[in-house]
Amino acid sequence: MPVLAQQAGRDDLSPEPGVRFAPLHIYLDSGDRSLAAYQFELKATAGQIEIVGVEGGKHKAFSEPPYYDPAALAKDRIIIAAFNTGRDLPTGRTRIATVHLLIKGDVEPQYELDLTVAGDADGEKIPAEITFEKGEEK
Amino acid sequence: MALASSHNGAKLMNERIRHFDEEPSLEVSSRLTEDIQALFEPELSVPAETDRAVLDRASRHFAGRKFVKTRRIRWVALWKGAAAAAVVIFAFSLDLHDKPQRAVYDSAIAGTDAVDFDRNGQVNILDAFKLARQIELAGGNRANLDINGDGLVNRDDVDKIAFAAVSLTPAKQGPGKGVL
Repeated sequence: MPVLAQQAGRDDLSPEPGVRFAPLHIYLDSGDRSLAAYQFELKATAGQIEIVGVEGGKHKAFSEPPYYDPAALAKDRIIIAAFNTGRDLPTGRTRIATVHLLIKGDVEPQYELDLTVAGDADGEKIPAEITFEKGEEK
Repeated sequence: MALASSHNGAKLMNERIRHFDEEPSLEVSSRLTEDIQALFEPELSVPAETDRAVLDRASRHFAGRKFVKTRRIRWVALWKGAAAAAVVIFAFSLDLHDKPQRAVYDSAIAGTDAVDFDRNGQVNILDAFKLARQIELAGGNRANLDINGDGLVNRDDVDKIAFAAVSLTPAKQGPGKGVL
Protein backbone atom coordinates (compact mmCIF):
# COMPACT_ATOMS: atom_id res chain seq x y z
CA MET A 1 0.00 0.00 0.00
CA PRO A 2 2.74 2.64 0.84
CA VAL A 3 4.55 1.80 -2.40
CA LEU A 4 1.38 2.35 -4.37
CA ALA A 5 0.80 5.65 -2.57
CA GLN A 6 4.34 6.80 -3.32
CA GLN A 7 3.98 5.99 -6.99
CA ALA A 8 0.73 7.89 -7.11
CA GLY A 9 2.54 10.89 -5.60
CA ARG A 10 5.23 10.77 -8.27
CA ASP A 11 2.59 10.96 -10.94
CA ASP A 12 1.41 14.21 -9.38
CA LEU A 13 4.91 15.73 -9.84
CA SER A 14 4.82 15.46 -13.59
CA PRO A 15 5.28 18.83 -15.34
CA GLU A 16 2.23 20.94 -15.97
CA PRO A 17 1.10 21.22 -19.57
CA GLY A 18 2.92 24.07 -21.31
CA VAL A 19 5.86 24.05 -18.89
CA ARG A 20 9.32 23.33 -20.27
CA PHE A 21 12.96 23.77 -19.37
CA ALA A 22 15.54 25.48 -21.53
CA PRO A 23 19.16 26.62 -21.12
CA LEU A 24 20.31 30.06 -22.14
CA HIS A 25 23.99 30.20 -23.06
CA ILE A 26 25.72 33.52 -22.45
CA TYR A 27 28.73 34.51 -24.58
CA LEU A 28 31.21 37.35 -24.19
CA ASP A 29 33.55 38.52 -26.89
CA SER A 30 36.47 40.54 -25.53
CA GLY A 31 38.39 40.64 -28.80
CA ASP A 32 42.11 40.28 -28.35
CA ARG A 33 41.98 41.31 -24.70
CA SER A 34 42.15 38.71 -21.97
CA LEU A 35 38.93 38.43 -20.00
CA ALA A 36 39.54 38.34 -16.24
CA ALA A 37 36.18 39.51 -14.89
CA TYR A 38 32.64 40.11 -16.05
CA GLN A 39 29.28 41.12 -14.68
CA PHE A 40 25.97 41.21 -16.50
CA GLU A 41 22.26 41.38 -15.85
CA LEU A 42 19.65 39.18 -17.50
CA LYS A 43 15.91 39.69 -17.37
CA ALA A 44 12.88 38.55 -19.30
CA THR A 45 10.93 41.23 -21.13
CA ALA A 46 8.23 38.92 -22.46
CA GLY A 47 6.89 35.50 -21.59
CA GLN A 48 6.82 33.85 -18.21
CA ILE A 49 10.08 32.36 -16.96
CA GLU A 50 11.72 31.30 -13.74
CA ILE A 51 15.47 31.03 -13.29
CA VAL A 52 16.16 27.59 -11.86
CA GLY A 53 19.95 27.34 -12.00
CA VAL A 54 23.25 28.86 -13.08
CA GLU A 55 26.39 27.09 -14.23
CA GLY A 56 29.84 28.23 -15.24
CA GLY A 57 31.32 28.72 -18.67
CA LYS A 58 33.38 26.69 -21.07
CA HIS A 59 36.84 28.11 -20.40
CA LYS A 60 38.65 26.78 -17.37
CA ALA A 61 38.96 30.28 -15.90
CA PHE A 62 35.17 30.57 -15.64
CA SER A 63 34.07 26.97 -15.33
CA GLU A 64 33.10 27.36 -11.67
CA PRO A 65 29.57 28.57 -10.92
CA PRO A 66 29.59 32.38 -10.93
CA TYR A 67 28.34 34.74 -8.22
CA TYR A 68 24.63 35.49 -8.18
CA ASP A 69 22.01 36.46 -5.65
CA PRO A 70 20.16 33.31 -4.51
CA ALA A 71 17.04 35.45 -4.34
CA ALA A 72 17.09 35.51 -8.13
CA LEU A 73 16.11 31.86 -8.33
CA ALA A 74 12.45 31.44 -9.18
CA LYS A 75 12.44 34.99 -10.56
CA ASP A 76 12.89 36.42 -14.04
CA ARG A 77 15.85 38.69 -13.32
CA ILE A 78 19.40 37.92 -12.24
CA ILE A 79 22.81 39.56 -11.94
CA ILE A 80 25.73 37.25 -12.62
CA ALA A 81 29.44 37.93 -12.12
CA ALA A 82 32.76 36.10 -11.96
CA PHE A 83 36.49 36.79 -12.02
CA ASN A 84 39.75 34.95 -12.23
CA THR A 85 43.11 36.23 -11.04
CA GLY A 86 45.11 33.61 -12.89
CA ARG A 87 47.08 34.00 -16.08
CA ASP A 88 45.21 31.46 -18.20
CA LEU A 89 42.36 33.64 -19.43
CA PRO A 90 40.11 33.45 -22.48
CA THR A 91 40.18 35.84 -25.38
CA GLY A 92 37.75 36.32 -28.26
CA ARG A 93 34.25 34.87 -27.98
CA THR A 94 33.72 32.48 -25.14
CA ARG A 95 30.75 31.05 -23.28
CA ILE A 96 30.92 32.54 -19.79
CA ALA A 97 27.78 31.05 -18.20
CA THR A 98 24.60 29.10 -18.79
CA VAL A 99 21.32 30.06 -17.16
CA HIS A 100 18.73 27.34 -16.83
CA LEU A 101 15.17 28.50 -17.20
CA LEU A 102 11.69 27.16 -16.59
CA ILE A 103 9.35 28.51 -19.22
CA LYS A 104 5.60 28.60 -18.66
CA GLY A 105 2.91 29.10 -21.25
CA ASP A 106 3.01 29.35 -25.00
CA VAL A 107 4.45 32.86 -25.24
CA GLU A 108 8.03 32.77 -26.50
CA PRO A 109 10.19 34.53 -23.89
CA GLN A 110 12.20 37.59 -24.81
CA TYR A 111 15.36 38.46 -22.93
CA GLU A 112 17.33 41.57 -22.21
CA LEU A 113 21.01 41.20 -21.53
CA ASP A 114 23.13 44.08 -20.21
CA LEU A 115 26.86 43.89 -19.71
CA THR A 116 27.68 45.78 -16.54
CA VAL A 117 31.44 45.47 -16.79
CA ALA A 118 34.21 43.38 -18.28
CA GLY A 119 37.75 43.58 -16.98
CA ASP A 120 41.20 42.43 -17.96
CA ALA A 121 43.97 40.93 -15.88
CA ASP A 122 44.92 44.35 -14.53
CA GLY A 123 41.42 45.05 -13.31
CA GLU A 124 40.85 47.62 -16.01
CA LYS A 125 37.56 47.90 -17.86
CA ILE A 126 37.63 46.57 -21.40
CA PRO A 127 35.13 46.79 -24.23
CA ALA A 128 33.25 43.58 -24.89
CA GLU A 129 30.10 42.34 -26.55
CA ILE A 130 27.66 40.08 -24.74
CA THR A 131 25.22 37.78 -26.55
CA PHE A 132 23.10 34.75 -25.77
CA GLU A 133 21.97 31.60 -27.53
CA LYS A 134 18.92 29.56 -26.65
CA GLY A 135 19.64 25.94 -25.95
CA GLU A 136 17.51 22.91 -26.62
CA GLU A 137 14.22 22.89 -24.74
CA LYS A 138 13.21 19.82 -22.75
CA MET B 1 -25.36 -55.96 32.74
CA ALA B 2 -24.88 -52.46 31.71
CA LEU B 3 -28.35 -51.45 32.97
CA ALA B 4 -27.91 -53.18 36.42
CA SER B 5 -24.68 -51.39 37.08
CA SER B 6 -26.30 -48.07 36.44
CA HIS B 7 -29.09 -48.70 38.82
CA ASN B 8 -26.72 -49.53 41.75
CA GLY B 9 -24.64 -46.33 41.13
CA ALA B 10 -27.74 -44.13 41.35
CA LYS B 11 -28.72 -45.60 44.66
CA LEU B 12 -25.29 -44.90 46.22
CA MET B 13 -25.42 -41.29 44.97
CA ASN B 14 -28.77 -40.70 46.63
CA GLU B 15 -27.43 -41.90 49.95
CA ARG B 16 -24.43 -39.53 49.77
CA ILE B 17 -26.67 -36.53 48.99
CA ARG B 18 -28.88 -37.32 51.93
CA HIS B 19 -25.79 -37.55 54.20
CA PHE B 20 -24.57 -33.99 53.27
CA ASP B 21 -28.06 -32.53 53.56
CA GLU B 22 -28.10 -33.20 57.29
CA GLU B 23 -27.15 -30.14 59.50
CA PRO B 24 -23.74 -30.71 61.14
CA SER B 25 -23.41 -30.09 64.89
CA LEU B 26 -21.72 -26.67 65.54
CA GLU B 27 -21.17 -27.20 69.23
CA VAL B 28 -17.55 -27.58 70.40
CA SER B 29 -16.75 -29.73 73.28
CA SER B 30 -15.31 -28.05 76.41
CA ARG B 31 -12.27 -30.30 76.23
CA LEU B 32 -11.36 -29.00 72.75
CA THR B 33 -11.81 -25.39 73.90
CA GLU B 34 -9.39 -25.85 76.77
CA ASP B 35 -6.81 -27.46 74.55
CA ILE B 36 -6.91 -24.60 72.01
CA GLN B 37 -6.64 -21.92 74.70
CA ALA B 38 -3.66 -23.68 76.22
CA LEU B 39 -2.02 -23.88 72.84
CA PHE B 40 -2.31 -20.17 71.79
CA GLU B 41 -2.43 -18.30 75.10
CA PRO B 42 0.83 -16.34 75.81
CA GLU B 43 2.86 -17.56 78.66
CA LEU B 44 3.57 -14.02 80.01
CA SER B 45 1.17 -11.14 79.95
CA VAL B 46 2.49 -7.62 78.99
CA PRO B 47 1.71 -4.94 81.55
CA ALA B 48 -0.24 -1.91 80.34
CA GLU B 49 2.60 0.45 81.37
CA THR B 50 4.98 -1.39 79.05
CA ASP B 51 2.54 -1.06 76.17
CA ARG B 52 2.23 2.69 76.73
CA ALA B 53 6.01 3.11 76.98
CA VAL B 54 6.60 1.28 73.72
CA LEU B 55 3.96 3.33 71.93
CA ASP B 56 5.34 6.56 73.36
CA ARG B 57 8.89 5.78 72.26
CA ALA B 58 7.78 4.74 68.83
CA SER B 59 5.86 7.98 68.42
CA ARG B 60 8.90 10.05 69.37
CA HIS B 61 11.11 8.02 67.04
CA PHE B 62 8.93 8.55 63.96
CA ALA B 63 8.33 12.18 64.85
CA GLY B 64 12.14 12.70 64.73
CA ARG B 65 12.42 11.00 61.35
CA LYS B 66 9.81 13.33 59.96
CA PHE B 67 11.78 16.36 61.15
CA VAL B 68 14.99 15.10 59.53
CA LYS B 69 13.19 14.47 56.23
CA THR B 70 11.72 17.96 56.20
CA ARG B 71 15.13 19.49 56.89
CA ARG B 72 16.67 17.40 54.07
CA ILE B 73 14.00 18.59 51.68
CA ARG B 74 14.81 22.17 52.59
CA TRP B 75 18.53 21.61 51.88
CA VAL B 76 17.74 20.02 48.52
CA ALA B 77 15.54 22.96 47.64
CA LEU B 78 18.32 25.37 48.59
CA TRP B 79 20.86 23.53 46.43
CA LYS B 80 18.46 23.50 43.50
CA GLY B 81 17.93 27.22 43.84
CA ALA B 82 21.65 27.88 44.02
CA ALA B 83 22.30 25.72 40.94
CA ALA B 84 19.61 27.54 38.97
CA ALA B 85 21.07 30.90 39.97
CA ALA B 86 24.55 29.74 38.90
CA VAL B 87 23.23 28.68 35.49
CA VAL B 88 21.53 32.05 34.99
CA ILE B 89 24.67 33.96 36.00
CA PHE B 90 26.81 31.81 33.68
CA ALA B 91 24.42 32.37 30.78
CA PHE B 92 24.51 36.12 31.24
CA SER B 93 28.29 36.09 31.54
CA LEU B 94 28.55 34.67 27.98
CA ASP B 95 28.79 37.44 25.43
CA LEU B 96 26.67 35.92 22.72
CA HIS B 97 26.81 39.06 20.63
CA ASP B 98 30.51 38.52 19.89
CA LYS B 99 30.09 35.15 18.18
CA PRO B 100 31.85 34.94 14.80
CA GLN B 101 29.90 36.00 11.76
CA ARG B 102 28.98 33.32 9.25
CA ALA B 103 30.85 33.45 5.98
CA VAL B 104 27.70 33.25 3.87
CA TYR B 105 25.70 35.57 1.69
CA ASP B 106 25.07 38.68 3.74
CA SER B 107 24.97 41.95 1.91
CA ALA B 108 24.12 44.11 4.90
CA ILE B 109 27.49 45.76 4.47
CA ALA B 110 26.96 46.28 0.74
CA GLY B 111 25.59 49.77 1.15
CA THR B 112 28.72 51.00 2.89
CA ASP B 113 31.97 52.23 1.43
CA ALA B 114 33.72 49.02 2.45
CA VAL B 115 32.55 47.08 -0.59
CA ASP B 116 33.46 49.91 -2.96
CA PHE B 117 37.05 48.78 -2.80
CA ASP B 118 38.42 50.97 -5.59
CA ARG B 119 36.45 53.99 -4.31
CA ASN B 120 35.01 54.89 -7.70
CA GLY B 121 31.44 55.17 -6.41
CA GLN B 122 30.36 51.90 -8.03
CA VAL B 123 30.25 48.41 -6.57
CA ASN B 124 30.83 45.66 -9.10
CA ILE B 125 32.87 42.55 -9.69
CA LEU B 126 36.01 44.58 -10.37
CA ASP B 127 36.04 45.62 -6.70
CA ALA B 128 36.13 41.95 -5.72
CA PHE B 129 38.76 41.24 -8.37
CA LYS B 130 41.03 44.05 -7.15
CA LEU B 131 40.70 42.94 -3.54
CA ALA B 132 41.56 39.37 -4.52
CA ARG B 133 44.66 40.61 -6.33
CA GLN B 134 45.66 42.71 -3.32
CA ILE B 135 45.31 39.74 -1.00
CA GLU B 136 47.42 37.62 -3.31
CA LEU B 137 50.15 40.27 -3.41
CA ALA B 138 50.09 41.43 0.21
CA GLY B 139 48.93 38.25 1.87
CA GLY B 140 46.56 38.48 4.79
CA ASN B 141 48.61 41.03 6.69
CA ARG B 142 46.86 44.26 5.78
CA ALA B 143 44.07 45.20 8.13
CA ASN B 144 42.41 47.50 5.59
CA LEU B 145 41.61 44.43 3.46
CA ASP B 146 39.40 42.98 6.18
CA ILE B 147 36.13 43.91 4.50
CA ASN B 148 33.78 41.83 6.65
CA GLY B 149 35.47 42.80 9.92
CA ASP B 150 36.05 39.28 11.19
CA GLY B 151 39.73 39.92 11.93
CA LEU B 152 40.86 37.80 8.99
CA VAL B 153 41.79 38.69 5.44
CA ASN B 154 40.74 35.88 3.16
CA ARG B 155 38.31 34.73 0.49
CA ASP B 156 35.35 35.65 2.66
CA ASP B 157 36.21 39.33 2.24
CA VAL B 158 36.26 38.93 -1.53
CA ASP B 159 32.95 37.08 -1.44
CA LYS B 160 31.47 39.89 0.59
CA ILE B 161 32.09 42.36 -2.19
CA ALA B 162 31.13 39.97 -4.98
CA PHE B 163 27.80 39.14 -3.37
CA ALA B 164 27.13 42.83 -2.83
CA ALA B 165 27.75 43.38 -6.55
CA VAL B 166 25.20 40.77 -7.66
CA SER B 167 22.57 41.58 -5.07
CA LEU B 168 19.13 42.21 -6.54
CA THR B 169 18.15 44.56 -3.74
CA PRO B 170 18.92 48.12 -4.88
CA ALA B 171 19.32 49.43 -1.33
CA LYS B 172 22.18 46.99 -0.81
CA GLN B 173 24.12 47.97 -3.88
CA GLY B 174 25.35 51.41 -2.96
CA PRO B 175 25.26 54.56 -5.04
CA GLY B 176 25.69 54.24 -8.77
CA LYS B 177 25.55 50.47 -8.77
CA GLY B 178 24.80 48.80 -12.06
CA VAL B 179 25.43 51.73 -14.38
CA LEU B 180 28.87 52.20 -15.83
